[in-house]
Amino acid sequence: MSALDIIGVRKTYGEIETLKGIDIALESGEFLVLLGSSGCGKSTLLNIIAGLAEASGGDVRIGGRSVLAAHPKDRDIAMVFQSYALYPNLSVHRNIGFGLEMRKVPAAERDRAVREVAKLLQIEALLDRKPSQLSGGQRQRVAIGRALVRKPQVFLFDEPLSNLDAKLRMEMRTELKRLHQMLKTTMVYVTHDQIEAMTLATRIAVMRDGRIEQLGTPEEIYNRPATLYVATFVGAPPMNLLDTVADGGRLVLGDNAALPLPQAWKDRVRDGRRLVLGIRPEALQLDAAAGPAISATVEVVELTGPELVVSASIGRQRIMACLPPRSRIAAGQRLTFAVEEDAMHLFDAESGLRIA
Amino acid sequence: MSGTWMSTRAWLLMTPLLAVMIAVIGWPMVQTVGLSFTDAKLVGTAGTFVGLDNYARMLASSNFQRTLVTTVWFAVVSVGAEMMLGVLAALLLNQEFRGRTALRALMILPWALPTVVNATLWRLIYNPEYGALNAALTQIGLLDAYRSWLGEPGSALTALIVADCWKNFPLVALIALAALQAVPRDITAASLVDGAGPFNRFRFVILPYLAGPLVVALVLRTIEAFKVFDIIWVMTRGGPANSTRTLSILVYQEAFSFQRAGSGASLALIVTLLVTLLALAYAALVRKTAGRAF
Ligand SMILES: Nc1ncnc2c1ncn2[C@@H]1O[C@H](COP(=O)(O)OP(=O)(O)OP(=O)(O)O)[C@@H](O)[C@H]1O
Ligand SMILES: [Mg+2]
Repeated sequence: MSALDIIGVRKTYGEIETLKGIDIALESGEFLVLLGSSGCGKSTLLNIIAGLAEASGGDVRIGGRSVLAAHPKDRDIAMVFQSYALYPNLSVHRNIGFGLEMRKVPAAERDRAVREVAKLLQIEALLDRKPSQLSGGQRQRVAIGRALVRKPQVFLFDEPLSNLDAKLRMEMRTELKRLHQMLKTTMVYVTHDQIEAMTLATRIAVMRDGRIEQLGTPEEIYNRPATLYVATFVGAPPMNLLDTVADGGRLVLGDNAALPLPQAWKDRVRDGRRLVLGIRPEALQLDAAAGPAISATVEVVELTGPELVVSASIGRQRIMACLPPRSRIAAGQRLTFAVEEDAMHLFDAESGLRIA
Repeated sequence: MSGTWMSTRAWLLMTPLLAVMIAVIGWPMVQTVGLSFTDAKLVGTAGTFVGLDNYARMLASSNFQRTLVTTVWFAVVSVGAEMMLGVLAALLLNQEFRGRTALRALMILPWALPTVVNATLWRLIYNPEYGALNAALTQIGLLDAYRSWLGEPGSALTALIVADCWKNFPLVALIALAALQAVPRDITAASLVDGAGPFNRFRFVILPYLAGPLVVALVLRTIEAFKVFDIIWVMTRGGPANSTRTLSILVYQEAFSFQRAGSGASLALIVTLLVTLLALAYAALVRKTAGRAF
């Protein structure tokens, strides 16, 4: 069943169009991540779903029913905010139960629901405290508890982890994933952190300037980025992008360097066309037998722990490679990288679109 | 070492201010205390020492007691009304609408006017022959004949309270408006999603951010209202039949109209003591709200 339908949603602030027609259909139980850089309209879209902002056009349906005319409280959604947004002078217990209290749920039933959620989130010991007596991570748990207790059809999260430190963020990420697997509720999650997106989502919508640049599973986004923007946004270190020109079945990278044009693209790319070749740093290998090879001069070597990040130059272009940590490589060395044909991404240099 | 040096420097820097304060506040205060133990007149002899006589007489006099009641009534009613009006105005001006900025600026106007101008303005409004209030009330049929609002003991104090409110509610509104702008948007949004109506939103979302600043406004306004002199002096001089006589007016009458410097001084010190007690009680309240709001 369709849990959430976003149909041609637009939003204008005065002259400026913040959302330029967004279409997403979510099945029940999906975890959608809205991924994009600051100001691309993620929060605006989430607020429109929640009813905190008005759409200038289009429709939002929850469980098949249009909700644009409904008050936020009647939309069967719950929301978690970046700043936690806890009520400062209410105890944790009342904060979590607030939505139920406002809906006149009897105290005994409310208490049972609050305790159940608190147990789930391991904050039972904190129920009598005030928000000011909690750490950031505990506050976020309370905020999540406040959403969970209502058992809504759709959960909305607006960058819920971005105020936490790195370690805590990872813990909470895993916890959210665990919660989603257990509850199987539809979730919409806003972030600009691509790792969060990759790990949590069943589908990712990469947004840019009020449009969806690509909507797909994490694997699709990672393995077949539809545009140059998506290619650079997902993955760390980002995908290597090399300017290239097709010439006689080869991709010329300048300064005598070239790679053979993979068979799949042979009949789709005319000679002389300006292209961008994308290769993920982790797809570059030292084993020359793995596929077509290019040589490069090593400039910087950084050991991050699990891998060795090598920056090298091919003529005037730079390339990064993630190699096994024990590779013996030094700056100034001449290296040959091999790339499997499957690991090559080709984009049109002008439109930035993937050449399928 | 540096500690002593720092504190020496701090004292040095404060000396000019302290000197001025001792000259204009401390010395007159000491003189007033001395004066309050004598039967000195404003002009003529220095007076003889009478001990606590002035205080005893003053506290026992029905004049003083009546005036105290009038003052408390004036302070409680005008400050209460100012707080309510101020918060209401702030809530309205915090909404988004066209012309909000202009209206915010306009609202401050009464408070920005000098009290004397404000008082004169209201005397015109209340004027028994050509006052706007009489005209308005008779024209809409609420009143049969023009009345002398400031000339009748039954209405003069209320008329004064209205004038004082009009002047002072903008200060409360200004403080409340600043506090309202500190209410996080996300918490308001969360309360909407949680289904809180306007009343609950005010109580659980807005009030926690409003309480602290409002207590400060309350303290400022009550102490000022308790000492009120100028607006009353310009509008009624404490009349008619002493119905608008507050403590400050009584001090003035005692010391300058009746030229009893000694007993005037004792009364002034009684008022000072009362205001100090009020301030201390309020300081405790401020500390309590500050600790409890979050
Ligand atoms: N009330 C408003 N009035 C005018 N413009 C607004 C308003 N709210 C948002 N915008 C604009 O809409 C655009 C999208 O804002 P939005 O908050 O959705 O971005 P975002 O993707 O959530 O960014 P971030 O990651 O920084 O939270 C921004 O350019 C912003 O300036
Ligand atoms: Mg945002």
